[in-house]
Amino acid sequence: MKNVIAVGIGGAAGTYLRYIINTQLPADFPVGTMIENITGSLLLGLLSGWFAVKTPRDWVKAGLGVGLCGGYTTFSAFAADTVDLYTGQMIAPAVWYMFVTLFLGIIFAMIGFAAGQKAGGEHL
Amino acid sequence: MTALCLTAGGALGAICRYLLGKWFGRFQSTIPFPIPMLFVNIAGSFGLGLFFGGFYGGIPAEAYTDPWFLFGGVGFFGAFTTFSTFSMEAFHLLEKREYPTLLIYTGLSVGGAFLSFGTGLWIGG
Repeated sequence: MKNVIAVGIGGAAGTYLRYIINTQLPADFPVGTMIENITGSLLLGLLSGWFAVKTPRDWVKAGLGVGLCGGYTTFSAFAADTVDLYTGQMIAPAVWYMFVTLFLGIIFAMIGFAAGQKAGGEHL
Repeated sequence: MTALCLTAGGALGAICRYLLGKWFGRFQSTIPFPIPMLFVNIAGSFGLGLFFGGFYGGIPAEAYTDPWFLFGGVGFFGAFTTFSTFSMEAFHLLEKREYPTLLIYTGLSVGGAFLSFGTGLWIGG
């Protein structure tokens, strides 16, 4: 139950953060969702790396990882944005948007994980 | 109103993802890539498509003033699906040098989500 509450709070905070970024950016290209998915991957990488070294309480892990990072990033808007670009005859931008999100998301998760492990290890 | 819609939708979406992800974990056994978030992302993309099609007749351009869009689109389906877990799982497959599995996992995640979103949009609209 503690985990569920932590996931709910984290999810709400992540969602709110995503909304703020989306409304601050121009709406003609879905750059907001791209930024959120990439930076969220970096953050989850960092947390996972850190947690691999230092084991936190279950609810902390669930709240920050599943809740905050999960709520901050989104796959459904990624799908909606790409389909929207594609059906709007912006085929090259749609392909570009998809590959940049995927590529940088994975790269930043990797960078985050390495940095998180290092940061966690130095405090042992 | 905005804060309430986002908080309720986001919290509910994240909790549903957490519980459903645990439940989908039962079917993992012999499958070489992580399936819980794969299923959640495909289901959530279908749901968002259905919601957009049913409520707006298509993908809404600027709906940040509409409470249903904030609750359902940005809040619930936004938080229900996740990209960061996908990135981490793809990175772990890359780390283990399981390239064919990585390709299958990425292809199913992306292709599955896009197709299900489009199907939902079509059914709803």
